[in-house]
Amino acid sequence: MSSPTDIASAAAAAQSALAQSAVDDDAQTPEPFGLGSSAPRNDALPKALGIYPYAADLWAEGLLWGAVLRAPHPHARIVSVDTSAALALPGVHAVITAADLPPGPEGAPDGAPHGPIVADRPILAAGLIRHHGEPVAAVAADHPDTARLAAASIVVEYEVLEPVTDPEQAFSAPPLHPDGNLFRHLPLRTGDPEAVGEIIVEGLYQVGRQDPAPIGAEAGLAVPRPDGGVELHLSSTDPHGDRDRTAACLGLEPDRVRLVVTGIPGATADREDLSFQVTLAMLALRTGRPVKMTLTREESFQTHTSRHPALLRYRHHADAEGRLVKVEAQILLDGGAYADVSSEALAAATAFSVGPYVCPNVFVDAWAVRTNNPPAGRMRGEGALQTCFAYESQLDQLAVRVGVEPLEIRRRNAMATGDPMPTGQAVTCPAPVAALLDAVSASPLPALPMDDPEGDWLLPGGPGGAGDPAAVRRGIGYAVGMVHMLGAEGEDEVSTATVRVSGDHATVICAAVDSGQGFATLARQIVQDVLGVTEVYVAPVDSDQSIAGPSARGRHTWVSGGAVERAALMVRHQLLQPIAANFGMSVELLSIADGKITSYDGVLGMPVGEALEGKELWATAQCRPHPTEPLDEAGQGDAFVSIAFCAMRAVVDVDIELGTVRVVDVTVAQDVGRALNPRQIEDRIEAGVAQGVGLALLEDLRTEGGRLVNPSLTGYRLPTALDTPEVRIAALLEERDVVATFGAKAVSAAPAVVAPAAVAAAVRAATGLPVGRLPILPEDAIAG
Amino acid sequence: MLPASLDEAVEALAATPGAVPVAGATDLMEAVNAGRLRPAALIGLGRITELRGWRYEDGGTAVLGAGLTHARMDRPDFAALIPALADAARTAGPPQVRNVGTLGGNVATAAPAGDTLPVLAALEATATLARAGSTREVPVSHLLTGLDPLRPGELLTWVRVPLLNAPQVFLKATGRSGPARATASVALVLDPARRAVRCAVGAVAPVPLRPLEAETWVAGCIDWDARGEDGATVIDPAAAAAFGEYVAGACVPEVLPDGTNEGLAQGAARVRRTVSVLARRALGRALK
Repeated sequence: MSSPTDIASAAAAAQSALAQSAVDDDAQTPEPFGLGSSAPRNDALPKALGIYPYAADLWAEGLLWGAVLRAPHPHARIVSVDTSAALALPGVHAVITAADLPPGPEGAPDGAPHGPIVADRPILAAGLIRHHGEPVAAVAADHPDTARLAAASIVVEYEVLEPVTDPEQAFSAPPLHPDGNLFRHLPLRTGDPEAVGEIIVEGLYQVGRQDPAPIGAEAGLAVPRPDGGVELHLSSTDPHGDRDRTAACLGLEPDRVRLVVTGIPGATADREDLSFQVTLAMLALRTGRPVKMTLTREESFQTHTSRHPALLRYRHHADAEGRLVKVEAQILLDGGAYADVSSEALAAATAFSVGPYVCPNVFVDAWAVRTNNPPAGRMRGEGALQTCFAYESQLDQLAVRVGVEPLEIRRRNAMATGDPMPTGQAVTCPAPVAALLDAVSASPLPALPMDDPEGDWLLPGGPGGAGDPAAVRRGIGYAVGMVHMLGAEGEDEVSTATVRVSGDHATVICAAVDSGQGFATLARQIVQDVLGVTEVYVAPVDSDQSIAGPSARGRHTWVSGGAVERAALMVRHQLLQPIAANFGMSVELLSIADGKITSYDGVLGMPVGEALEGKELWATAQCRPHPTEPLDEAGQGDAFVSIAFCAMRAVVDVDIELGTVRVVDVTVAQDVGRALNPRQIEDRIEAGVAQGVGLALLEDLRTEGGRLVNPSLTGYRLPTALDTPEVRIAALLEERDVVATFGAKAVSAAPAVVAPAAVAAAVRAATGLPVGRLPILPEDAIAG
Repeated sequence: MLPASLDEAVEALAATPGAVPVAGATDLMEAVNAGRLRPAALIGLGRITELRGWRYEDGGTAVLGAGLTHARMDRPDFAALIPALADAARTAGPPQVRNVGTLGGNVATAAPAGDTLPVLAALEATATLARAGSTREVPVSHLLTGLDPLRPGELLTWVRVPLLNAPQVFLKATGRSGPARATASVALVLDPARRAVRCAVGAVAPVPLRPLEAETWVAGCIDWDARGEDGATVIDPAAAAAFGEYVAGACVPEVLPDGTNEGLAQGAARVRRTVSVLARRALGRALK
């Protein structure tokens, strides 16, 4: 969306000492090559043409179709399950319920529970239903309609129980699960509790339930293996984690389960839910035939985890100049029915509760609780996003009270490299908060309609809508935020990659799933850079490869990118060592470029293929970043590997009579460490902004008494092209993170974290209303 | 079944009880795919080309084919004829839907948020219902309210709309900029020959509502002979605002909060406000 001239002029205006990225594609080189180039994605064209295969396109000879019966209640006790009618239907090959699952640990009936951190979620509900849409039984039949019909004919008698849907009630409600209703309570205490500021601002903030709503619903194919194992073809983003958990639930050794990763149709959260893949595998093992299952859109909304709805209460103390003295906060995350990664999201929410600002005294209590709402889980910047909206709203209020511009209040408090976070961890990675703010504020504003009469002014409400220019007010809002990358609190982060060179091409074998974040492109660029080969093939991922970990929290650039680089360097050494020895020079004096090995003096010029002499060179390497530690009982500890920052300016038009909001423009400055692929970074920023704008204005998976109200793409409003603003990149600040692979920082989550806060600030500026709730509905923006 | 002519279609409909006629299928197939509807048979109307256009009658009426797509109604030639219907067609959904979704389908589905429905109500359009051997003419509003519903074996073939040669406006509130279902919509047409204003409010009730008293009142406020600076018919802005309130009051019943229905009362107040703004703006645009 941004043209090279925009970026060039904005970059000049930013006039920072930091290196600017060369975002413009180099017109001189026809083929982008190596790191720093805007190498195109190999899957872009087939995806645009609609010929890229996804799990829903898979087929196997003699396959059966699976279907799942789901609970119609958010909270109920299963009195009885009668599957006889389903089994009697012609064409039905198997019906499974919790009773058919292999016994769990310690011989527990009804199968082993599962979960990414705490195993508390059943594959199929046995005694209790804890959320609307929880799977109860599954069917395999020779036709998808037969399967659905059979599932519907299973008779389940429920004793309906009163659901707990208000997270504030979860504390006092009877336990919904043997593990209790509190997933985690995380207190954070630092500094002087008696400290008082001259200015005090308070606010109550609410964030709704955003759903990842991937464009492709869950789908998969399970094929039984002759050795009693099973092969699963799925769009998993964590093939080894999913394999291990699936095997545990099936009562099989992990090597009996093979996960083959298919095309990923959208993943901004965990892609597959385990219940889906275990029931699929069970049906295949039961029938001895391949089984395919594709979920409907409604089921997809019911089954995958969403973003944690949050309730945040803040009190900021500041001195007369607006410098923060103390921050007090209470944060409540609604984790829904099962634990999933709630404790992790809570850690991020707590640690980043003050934002990228310095404050000596911080007192936070944060809770993640269990309710009968849909389970919440991982989703771009989980935890960090909710608090960003709250602390940025507080800063806006503070600016008003102090009587300074919103940018100024942020500059006065901005964190810099080396400053401590409230957790006691010093931010040792670059923290260019002030430079980011400078870059967005220096970027030119979009033209006002009266200054640009030729321009096509799109009013709030869209083309042909009811918008009236006389009722439209423009608002400008700023926000800055932070998000960690890689696993936190002592999680072992590791990835393994293999690089092979033969002939004139190289192959990368790494189980890091390209979920759309562009890892396959990056791996290609890394190998091009190190080995000088143009042709780099990135192998499809399956769980027989070495472990690379999940595609989440922006970790693959760092851990898997690092592993690929190391493996490529090892291959390079193997390749050059004999030649160097032959010529009596050290390896360092040889370089590889354009498929040729050349020596520093230009005497040697040998094609790589010739040097290989028909050999294949292989190397495997691992990357494991420095360890972290859990937060202690005062919320203190070095819990994060590294942190990325982003600043944004949003410009909105609000029809103050109808309350419709249109985001005109979002200008972004992001701390990227090093721009490894500028075009992909722009893509990721645009995607993050679109998702953030969606959360700010449209997306809300609503529940009523625990039941989903709008589980469809008609009811759940995703931003369309008309709702998505012009996204301009003011600057990609390249201050290397010395400990990170290539010095690069993850780029996907930060824009999604900051955009909702920026949009809210802009709506606040346009309407003069407090705006304490996301999404901002029309009734929250009526000021006329 | 894919009949090539209207006669074949009505015969097929008579011969196959339970068969459902289908044109753009934008609503129908969604219901079928979701498992809410399992029609015994489908009669595709796509090949009946005569229903995809329109013709004139008596100089003052346009007879619109039920198979007229939203995309076709949005084209300039049609927009010059019946501007409000073109406005409604333009905002009815994304291009994929507008390219196949038809006027007849909109009427037959009779969804509360159907965008063309308030326009047809304001225009006091009538529908021609054909069955083997006979046809009858029914006001569209009677069809929608169920006062005179579509009978088995009947096919909606034509919609008769008076040509008023005066400003008409359709406005819809959706809460977003991209295509979406209306939360409220207002169609307003001027009928200078009768010195009348006709207005209908959509999406706030199962069928479009006509605020008849407000229409009469506002028609009296308009100085039909006077011309403003740019040649427009004139109305006092305060009267336009009062008209908005009047329309909203007539179409959205007030819910008095009694402690138990707070959400309902707030919701009603919001819709009233939206309708009031839409009606005021619609009148303003029509008299511009």
